[in-house]
Amino acid sequence: MSRTIAIVEDDVSIRKNYTELLEKQGYKVQAYSNRKEAQLALTQKLPDLAIIDIGLEDEIDGGFTLCQALRQLSSSLPIIFLTARDNDFDTVSGLRMGADDYLTKDISLPHMLARIAALFRRIEASNKPTSIEDNIITGSVTLCLERMLVHWQQQLIELTVTEFWLVHSLVKVPGHVKSRQQLMEDAKVFVDDSTITSHIKRIRKKFMVLDKDFDCIDAVYGMGYRWKAEAKSDIESNAKSTVN
Amino acid sequence: MTINRFSFKFPSLFKLKFRFGLRIKLFLLSLFLFAIPLLGYQYVWEMEKYLRIGQEKTLMGTVRAVATALHERPKLFNRQASFLPNVQKGRDLYAYPIVDPIQLDGNLNDWRNQDRALNYQNDYLIEGHDIYQPQSLSFKHMVGKYREHLYAYFSVTDDSVVYRAENSLKIDQNDLLQIAFVTPAGDFRRYIISTKKEGWVTAYEINTNPSAHSPLHSTDNQPIAPENRIQGMWIETEQGYTIELRLPLSLLGSQLSFAISDIDEPNQTQKITVGTSQFMQADQLGTVLLPSPEIERILKGLDHSESRIWVVDKHGRVLAKAGDIKNSDGVWGKMTKPELTDSWYRPVQQQLLSIYNKILTTPPKDFKDQLYDVGQLEGSHITTALQGESGANWRLTTDNKAVILSAAYPIFSDGEVKGAVIAEETTNGIRSLRNQALQSWFNIIIAVMGLGTFGLFVFASRTSNRIRALRNQTEQAIDDQGKIINPIAMSNASDEVGDLQRSFALMVQRLGQYTQYLQGMSASLSHELRTPVAVVKSSLESLEIDLPASQDNVYMHRAKEGVNRLSTILTLMSEATRLEQSLQNTETVNYAIDEVVSGCVQGYQLTQPQQDFTLSVDSLSENPDDNLLSKLKVNQVNGGPELFAQLLDKLLANAVEFSTENTIIDINLVHKNDVFILTISNTGELLPVAMQDRLFDSMVSVRKGQQASQLNNEQHNEQPHLGLGLYIAQLIAQFHSGKVELVNNIDATGVDAIVTIPSIKNNTI
Repeated sequence: MSRTIAIVEDDVSIRKNYTELLEKQGYKVQAYSNRKEAQLALTQKLPDLAIIDIGLEDEIDGGFTLCQALRQLSSSLPIIFLTARDNDFDTVSGLRMGADDYLTKDISLPHMLARIAALFRRIEASNKPTSIEDNIITGSVTLCLERMLVHWQQQLIELTVTEFWLVHSLVKVPGHVKSRQQLMEDAKVFVDDSTITSHIKRIRKKFMVLDKDFDCIDAVYGMGYRWKAEAKSDIESNAKSTVN
Repeated sequence: MTINRFSFKFPSLFKLKFRFGLRIKLFLLSLFLFAIPLLGYQYVWEMEKYLRIGQEKTLMGTVRAVATALHERPKLFNRQASFLPNVQKGRDLYAYPIVDPIQLDGNLNDWRNQDRALNYQNDYLIEGHDIYQPQSLSFKHMVGKYREHLYAYFSVTDDSVVYRAENSLKIDQNDLLQIAFVTPAGDFRRYIISTKKEGWVTAYEINTNPSAHSPLHSTDNQPIAPENRIQGMWIETEQGYTIELRLPLSLLGSQLSFAISDIDEPNQTQKITVGTSQFMQADQLGTVLLPSPEIERILKGLDHSESRIWVVDKHGRVLAKAGDIKNSDGVWGKMTKPELTDSWYRPVQQQLLSIYNKILTTPPKDFKDQLYDVGQLEGSHITTALQGESGANWRLTTDNKAVILSAAYPIFSDGEVKGAVIAEETTNGIRSLRNQALQSWFNIIIAVMGLGTFGLFVFASRTSNRIRALRNQTEQAIDDQGKIINPIAMSNASDEVGDLQRSFALMVQRLGQYTQYLQGMSASLSHELRTPVAVVKSSLESLEIDLPASQDNVYMHRAKEGVNRLSTILTLMSEATRLEQSLQNTETVNYAIDEVVSGCVQGYQLTQPQQDFTLSVDSLSENPDDNLLSKLKVNQVNGGPELFAQLLDKLLANAVEFSTENTIIDINLVHKNDVFILTISNTGELLPVAMQDRLFDSMVSVRKGQQASQLNNEQHNEQPHLGLGLYIAQLIAQFHSGKVELVNNIDATGVDAIVTIPSIKNNTI
């Protein structure tokens, strides 16, 4: 059974390009040009994934409204914002609305496809029992690659796909400095340095919600970031808690 | 794409050292107010002139009224030698009124006005022309009237005084005084005073008709009997002798003669006689003028008038007088000075009065007027009056202290001028009045001018302050780069300055909107362009998937490369805007600046091995013994470490780009006076002078195309330049409350980028 992807985009060329591309990949695509149509159709029958532009025809924040509506109907529906707006403010609000990822329109198609695939994989994996072998455990952090989940001290941290890939890129080689360029490649995004900086900032904040003393993502000025091992006492206490 | 910015710079022309401001201009204009008191002063002077004319008319009226009372009363004047066509001084005597009683003791100190005494010498010689010598005989003589007597004195200079012999019956063989007069009844009388020794003397009446008794000695002076109503004192003096005597007015008519005869040796018949006139015949006698009691009685009624009034005979000799000139202020003198009212401004008023009194000439109370010899009044007005016309005259008193107005009017009798009435007044009344007018005028003027000038000054100050405030606001509205920093407040004032302020406010507001539009343009442009770029990109990628053969096509490569570059440009274009937005949401933290700097430099050294960097951090040298913790504290700044790294990125990239090959970039961090100074120095091309002020504006780039192609770094070669690097660096420095400067170094071999960041205050650690 092929998955259904809804595309809500007011620009005809982009809409058609993406529709064709996704159809070629074997997805079933529903394309809408404005919010009203999309909301009407999508609330009738939810798609498996939604790609939404923020500015929709005459509604400047139509994408946000639609996202909220869809999120109310389903908490697990993957939603991706694909937009020309690249400022921090819109990114933060988009993610706060419950979107799973926030992409700018100049993302390359393979990167986007990889993201879509990853999101579907995550949904599938959540239904299956996890295999511990796929996990990466460093100190207090546990990365579940299959389901794209990150646990810090056994507590789940909700990360977007881009964020998960960034964390993964750092955690898989703890102590090594990853340049922003490398991080961009690993996260399959093509953005400028300051966008990476703000991604890292958001990830830190998410960790710090659980643990105020979180200090593992270390900025190496002029080079990039690295995953820093925790202080020993922390690891010991964590190890004890896992044993127990 | 270059966007011009507006820059407001006032030309230095306006910054003159001396400012001829509104306040000074208005002050100068208000000087015209001083013309008002001048006009007032002029007006008061005019008024005084009219008052003087008025006083003259009034006085003339007084004189005419007095004269009217004296017209056609010949009796009053007949006694006064009015029959004489002219009077001769010395011959026609004038009895001065004597105020204080005279003691007949030979001592002349009780005679006032002795200066009016006449000296009788050879001009008045009657006998002895052939033997007269000046030192042998001369005398001073004066007559005066006191109550019912006529007083006279003779101060005789005589080299030898010959008294009457003890046994001599004759009374004329010695020095003697002859007296001759006509009684009111018309009888001619002669008297002789001679004495055997000095002392009390009595006159002997002489037979005026000697021929009846002894025709042979017609010149003999036959004494009939002593006349004890004519008595006096004979006193010998150093020069000769003095006779002081009196005779009752009842005996006296209008004709009188005195003569002194001098015999130098006893029993000698030759004698010298000096006298006021011939005394032997009644028709040869001189006259005497006595102040007329009848006229004085008439005038007495005028004693209380405000004038001094004289009545003179037709020879100008005073017949009567009433009033005192010192009380003669004229009609205006009665206007009393207004008393100072007892109020709060009384001290001020007193102060002002004392000042006025210094400026204005107050009429004196004690002036002296000794011009008139009452025996003979003179003046143009009197002359005019005695010719039958009325006249007036202004003159100064002899001490120049007061001005006296005199008016004269003739007295007629039988169509003849018998005399004149003269009235005199000082102008003190008018002067007091004028002074009072000027004083109250000055009071008002001082108040008006004070208030006026103060009002103008306040108005000018307020206006110029408002304009200055507007100027300050205008200057503060736009910074050196032409960026709008403060809006101008809208004013509610309804006048022109308010209008101007509103216009400026609107102008700055619109300019602000336009600048905002320009600033946001790159971001919105990149936003708008991103969709078509996405179309091209997705289309190309779709093509690649559809036609795998096209993947290796060179045109496909170039197209993708071009789109990627376009994409990068769009990202860079919105970078500054995104940074500005994110700065607003970024929380500041404290971090160690030297760690960030050294980390960044190490990173650069790794990523760019072809470029040499040297780093020197002096900020720790102040406390070399401190432990790590305090060092950290010392080197803390407030801001965002990633942001600061970004700033370093930009400046270092700039330095690398502009440095000459194979030179070293120096990075130096110094802590001085609570401020970190980071200097990044590179050797290479200097900054163009014209661009120095605008280097940190967005969209300004001084790069040259050839220089970019010379760079070895391929990554940089691909990077398009929008001139945003320094703009972003400045934004970040400002976020740290610091600043960035780019200057040519002292040796002019390269460029220094100087970042100044304040360190956090010790008390916040």
